[in-house]
Amino acid sequence: MKKNPNRIADGQTSAAWLLSAPSLLIIIVFMLIPFVMAIVYSFTNKMLVANPNNPLRFVGFNNYLKVFTNDTSLQAFGNTAFFALLFVPFTVALSLLLAVFVNKAIKGIGFIRLIYFSPQVVSMTVVAVIWAFIFSPSEDGLLNSILASFGIEGKLWLKDPDMAMYGIAIMSIWQAIGMQMIIILGGLQYIPEEIYEAAKVDGAKKWQVFMKITIPMLKNTLNFVIITNTIAALKLFTQVYMLTDGGPQNSTNTVVLFMYNIGFSRNQIGYSSAMAVVFFVIVLIISLIQNKVITKGDK
Amino acid sequence: MNSSPLSARKRISLSLMYVLYALVGVVFAGPLLYLFVASFKPDLQIVADMSSIKGFIPYGDLSFQNYKNIFAKMDFFKYFMNSTISTLLVVLFGTIINAMIGYALGLLDFRGKNLIVAAIIGLMIIPSEAVIINRMLVAADLHMLNTMSVLVIPALAYPAYVFLFYNHFKGMPKELLQAAIIDGSGYVRSFWSIMLPLSKPVMATVAIMTFIRRWGDLIWPTLVTRDDTYRTLPQAMKSLYSDAYVYWGEIFAFGSMVTIPTLIIFLIFQKQFIQSVASSGVKG
Repeated sequence: MKKNPNRIADGQTSAAWLLSAPSLLIIIVFMLIPFVMAIVYSFTNKMLVANPNNPLRFVGFNNYLKVFTNDTSLQAFGNTAFFALLFVPFTVALSLLLAVFVNKAIKGIGFIRLIYFSPQVVSMTVVAVIWAFIFSPSEDGLLNSILASFGIEGKLWLKDPDMAMYGIAIMSIWQAIGMQMIIILGGLQYIPEEIYEAAKVDGAKKWQVFMKITIPMLKNTLNFVIITNTIAALKLFTQVYMLTDGGPQNSTNTVVLFMYNIGFSRNQIGYSSAMAVVFFVIVLIISLIQNKVITKGDK
Repeated sequence: MNSSPLSARKRISLSLMYVLYALVGVVFAGPLLYLFVASFKPDLQIVADMSSIKGFIPYGDLSFQNYKNIFAKMDFFKYFMNSTISTLLVVLFGTIINAMIGYALGLLDFRGKNLIVAAIIGLMIIPSEAVIINRMLVAADLHMLNTMSVLVIPALAYPAYVFLFYNHFKGMPKELLQAAIIDGSGYVRSFWSIMLPLSKPVMATVAIMTFIRRWGDLIWPTLVTRDDTYRTLPQAMKSLYSDAYVYWGEIFAFGSMVTIPTLIIFLIFQKQFIQSVASSGVKG
């Protein structure tokens, strides 16, 4: 495959390495090395602040045993999965509906899309405090008042272990939808108009067109949205760190928050690293499964 | 079909559509409107207005008191500059160096290229959250903790963006580069003078995504800053909300000041914003 026999002489190799060097160096130092460290430390009792009475030593699979037997870490995995199961279907379904909803060439539609997209521009920390206010647990809290006008009983939201994760999911979905809507809208506009016209001539009903044409034609875009949102959901941190710190009763403790707390606040790098490796393997498996489903569907 | 009753029906259904659009719009813009309106109200009024539509209406004892309190309470300007400078440096240099390696991998021919491409694709799968604690240990070993550079340098290169640029440059006609080389422009100079100007849409995408990620990031600054010298806005928001007593007026004033700059940038670049987001799913 040697297209250019003089490639060293014409400076291509040196130019390529020169241009690659900054990114390559940063990726190696701040991505690859930490990743290898996480694997190595996961088999040790590594502490954040070294303890002279407990020198660094190999501990085998002890940290992994802890990850899989400790109630709190198992709960963190369960909570994260629960959040993903709430977040991904609702985000994808609602943004698909919205994308179809705003996919019309009418006056002011650009402005309408802009409004729907606007939460994306707000930092998650700000989103979190706005929703903490909306979720005020008192009788006259904002959301509780709205619910009361429909005769629905007020809830404690983030203060209730059974409700807190729903609250976190609602604010996360609210922020994510606008962006996903625009991505799906981008896919919608690649569907040739003739197909819709042909369906209209054939007398197809609106929902038939949606199920038989729109969804199949959007398959690649929807796959992309599902994968990126699943992985984003598994990384849940900022909202719970801001608002609940994993509570009440660990009901919103997530994998990344737990990793942060045991590694950074409780000094146990080894344990935290084992958690990180397990987290990575889970993300890897999910990406591979989703990739397989996609390529299978392509055939 | 006769046309006049149809168009009347159409007009009604169109107005109905706009009502629906507006109702959905309230769901998205409502909380933001609330944030801005409440930031001018005293705490007592915010709580009193909470249970009714009055919360959305600017009335009563409106003032800049909450904003003044923020400036009295914390060095807002410092946190704002820390966030702004670190974010802009990452957006600027990150976009360029990711484009540089993307060009080298996509258009140049050199030994080791395939290995690097494979490694980049592999690294894309590692969530940065999974390495973040150990990344902090590396930064500590390099004596980078509590500096501006620790907020900037580790965030510059990002495998997913390298891959985006790699794909973009791979799809470019090689003849273009060859013509430039024959004209006597080197491989490095061709990148700056020909390839980069042809890559504006991808650069806009990467710059925008980087901006959103950095501006709102809370976990990395929390891990690597040790006092408030390099504290960023999300961290300041966290400490404001963690106070023993939550002063909603001040939190909303702070939230407004964090949001307004990004809202302005968004409105200026909305076209590029929407276009780059819309194209991401089609490419993916």
